[in-house]
Amino acid sequence: MVPQQFTSHDVTKLIVRVSLKDRAAFDLLYRATSAKLFGVCLRVLSDRAEAEEALQEVFVKVWTKADRFVVSELSPISWLVAIARNHAIDRIRARSPRAAAIDEASELADARPGPEAQAIAEGERDRLGACLGELEADRAAAVRGAYLNGDSYAELAERFSVPLNTMRTWLRRSLMKLKECLER
Amino acid sequence: MTPGEDRTPDAGGDDHLAAEYVLGVLPGNEREVLARRIATDAGFARLVEAWEARLSPLNSGYDEMEVPASVKQALDARLFGHGAPATPKSGLLQSLAFWRGLAVASLAAFFIAIAIPLVLPVATTPGTRLVASLAGDKTDVRYLAAYDVRSSEIGLSHLAGDRAAGHDFELWIIKGKEPPVSLGVIPAGASVHLAVTPAHRDLIGSGALFAISLEPRGGSPTGKPTGPVVASGDLRAL
Repeated sequence: MVPQQFTSHDVTKLIVRVSLKDRAAFDLLYRATSAKLFGVCLRVLSDRAEAEEALQEVFVKVWTKADRFVVSELSPISWLVAIARNHAIDRIRARSPRAAAIDEASELADARPGPEAQAIAEGERDRLGACLGELEADRAAAVRGAYLNGDSYAELAERFSVPLNTMRTWLRRSLMKLKECLER
Repeated sequence: MTPGEDRTPDAGGDDHLAAEYVLGVLPGNEREVLARRIATDAGFARLVEAWEARLSPLNSGYDEMEVPASVKQALDARLFGHGAPATPKSGLLQSLAFWRGLAVASLAAFFIAIAIPLVLPVATTPGTRLVASLAGDKTDVRYLAAYDVRSSEIGLSHLAGDRAAGHDFELWIIKGKEPPVSLGVIPAGASVHLAVTPAHRDLIGSGALFAISLEPRGGSPTGKPTGPVVASGDLRAL
């Protein structure tokens, strides 16, 4: 498992060193963060082989684009997770709809550990958690599900049995309510 | 370059799009369009980053999963080839990345504390490079410039701000109270190089000013800046 002694500050330093093409730092950064980023890829892609491939591509991006981190205001781990999420989501969107549907039927149902309950349990007792709590339960679930699993509007609309445009309106409104709540 | 021409002034619409991009719900073709926009439109990129920050507490919902060792081996082979030693490369590319990191640090004071102790040991020959961070009050154009005295080459990293359609950015050196001297049109790209002719080398020193003006395509027709200065910055020896 991941060594726990790496702090956010350590990860920042590692990313800066990686931007200088320091391979030893790259190895340490991989050791410190690959398990989390693999968790992201696996959750979104629901396929081990594809998640392993995606994880490699994510770290290729980290190696080549680490200099961009210095102009980002995100925490280092949020920056890395954003790269992994975007990459994994782009990958599932590139799949054919049929393949996605088959995956969903065969793997998602049993492989995913109740995302909502888990996220709450893991101490989302922050302001975002509180603001999500102000949304109607099914909308908060849709936001969490979309974010964590990379669900598309089309998939969410089907799951919640509403037209796609309704789902889009729901989520847009929910996101703006979240923003408003966080800025209060 | 005309990526901004169809940009709507509707900030609410952009904020919705940024939020949906970060949430991940959009179809692949729309995500591709937005990814390109993030790379070219600093204002939109900031909206996206704000949403990434807002929703990042949800990242605690991702479990850490053990990665098979074969993945790292395949990654190393992919990036470095088989059996490549894990030592830092040297050369201009690395120095540029190095100075880029350091110059950005000067923009964000807190960052210096982190970067300097890390990068100083890497510096081989102090005093052979000058660095400038170029920005403007009225534009979002930002470049980082590093001048390598030995190779007489200026490396430029484009951080933000696009040139207007049909125009070029031109780089000028201003020494003391002397009139600006053109160092050439800046090629488009995230990381570009300009060679400095022997006649201009003496102008480039600590305390001199780099300035970027907006010029007709191909550069100023007069040999003097004709358009507005979009960014400038002092050169510093480091």
